[in-house]
Amino acid sequence: MTSRAWISATGVDTAPGRRAGGWRWLCLAALLCGVLAVFGDDYQLRFAAEILLVGTAVMSLNVLVGFAGLVSLGHGAVFGAAAYGAAIASQHWGSDLLLMLPVGVLCGMALAALMALVSYRSSGLFFLVLTLVVGQMAWEVVFRWREVTGGADGLRGYPALTVAGLPASHPLALFALALALAVASGWALRTFVRAPVGHAVQGMRDQPLRMRALGFHLGRLRLQTFLVTGAVAGAAGSIYPFVNQYIGPNAVHWSMSATLVIMSVLGGIATLAGGFVGAALYLVAQTQLSSWTDRWQLLIGMLFVLTVIFVPHGIVPALRRRFTS
Amino acid sequence: MAYIVVQILNALSFSVLLLLTGLGLSLVLSLMNFVNLTHGSFFLLGSYIGVQWMASGAPWWMAFPAAFVLTGLVGALLDRYPFRQFYPRTHLMQVLLTYGLSVVFADLMRWGFGADTLSPMLPDLLQGVVFVMGFPFPVYRLFLIATGGSLALVLWWAIEHTLWGAAIRACVIDRGIVETLGINTRRLLTVGVVLAAALGGLGGALGAGMLSAYPGLDEEVLLLALLVVVVGGLGSFTGTVLSALLIGFVTTFARMWLPEFANFLTLGMMALVLMVCPNGLLGRETRQL
Repeated sequence: MTSRAWISATGVDTAPGRRAGGWRWLCLAALLCGVLAVFGDDYQLRFAAEILLVGTAVMSLNVLVGFAGLVSLGHGAVFGAAAYGAAIASQHWGSDLLLMLPVGVLCGMALAALMALVSYRSSGLFFLVLTLVVGQMAWEVVFRWREVTGGADGLRGYPALTVAGLPASHPLALFALALALAVASGWALRTFVRAPVGHAVQGMRDQPLRMRALGFHLGRLRLQTFLVTGAVAGAAGSIYPFVNQYIGPNAVHWSMSATLVIMSVLGGIATLAGGFVGAALYLVAQTQLSSWTDRWQLLIGMLFVLTVIFVPHGIVPALRRRFTS
Repeated sequence: MAYIVVQILNALSFSVLLLLTGLGLSLVLSLMNFVNLTHGSFFLLGSYIGVQWMASGAPWWMAFPAAFVLTGLVGALLDRYPFRQFYPRTHLMQVLLTYGLSVVFADLMRWGFGADTLSPMLPDLLQGVVFVMGFPFPVYRLFLIATGGSLALVLWWAIEHTLWGAAIRACVIDRGIVETLGINTRRLLTVGVVLAAALGGLGGALGAGMLSAYPGLDEEVLLLALLVVVVGGLGSFTGTVLSALLIGFVTTFARMWLPEFANFLTLGMMALVLMVCPNGLLGRETRQL
């Protein structure tokens, strides 16, 4: 796909560079988090932690889809596999964050690397289906291997999260950890996108043939992007099972991957902050709708449809355009 | 030995279902590069129509044309809005639109037909078993193989040996040139979409006697149909037939030997095939420009 086609299709100018007024949004987000930390009750704090963790996964997906042009339908499996990895490891070796984080990151990177290797020579629709297939293989393992993963019932009853021995299961602590992880991941992904390798990745998205002519190894670039995004999604996944002390097979299913993608599109596909906006909007909508009506799945489906029809470019780019012009 | 023969027949009947469903999806994909994830919903809708029709007491054989026409109608409506404006857009947007629609349809069907597993009341003619080398085998599956196989033959003939088929094949390769010949390709594409949806529904109506109809079947079928299309290679009828057979046989025999890991094995095998042939078994080399 040529660069013009991509930009007209996604409607975003992904040229990295300092945008005036970015700090204002950052202040607003910090204020929001501060207000939540002070006034939020336990339920709200847990919910906010969930949004931040899922948002971090969506942010890594934004890099994969928006910056690298690799439309993956298996990212939910990367996130979910890391969550399962952490939950299972905690049953055997205790649930310290210092252990959970590396376990989750490794699980995420391993599955992401597998996806990159399987889809090494594929592109377009074939790439999409292969990521879906690898993700569903992970789901099959989770769903069938009852002794270890709990099968359809999922896992519960594993120890609560601690940090270096101190208990961290209080909602405020979970919220603070999720926030710290989100900030660190945002910084890491921003660095990746702005580094030479990030520019090369965007070049791969827009002009694969020309990038190859320039001597770039597209397979290696792809693998690097997968590893970085898999590590971030894995890190988010490693804390996720401790927010509600429950993890179910739905977190690995491809509908989770599709949900992550719609969050990504909702927020703005080639923005980093959009991940959190999309995750927050989607999760709030889902919680409200499911408490309000039994037909919430129908309405969630409509949300998908309305999003691609009315805000295909995402909310964050729309806001940006509005406030900079 | 006899047991293997029965399993081969089982695999064949499953392959025929996959073929009918996969052909529709393949048509839309190669004609207008449109990823239609609602195809599984068409299949399930066809199943429910078949079940309801056979329960209603109307002539049973009319259930299949009814499913064909009704799901085709749904396809025609969807083609008008909102599919049409998504044909020129990226796969990402198409996937999200059609995934959302499939969620909507799944919930609507659960609303309308309930969450229970429904099986059609087959006519006496198709009930019961025949003995194949001493092993019982359902008559319905033989009917399925015969009907589905002949339908696929008719389709193959229509696409390879009629003027309409030639126009559709030409459209796959270069739509612009076909337009300059004075053929209204827009109408041709609409016919393609409607036919694809109708085929999905027909596959569902035929499959109801074997797989029953239940919420969640749409997703299972969708994933298998996507695999059939992708493994076969885009725009190749023979490739689709080959991959439908491959997936049908791999799934059936994996279920026989390792029931726990059947789906895992099938998915893994297909991933391997796609690693070796990135464009599918008989797909054309895609040129990057």
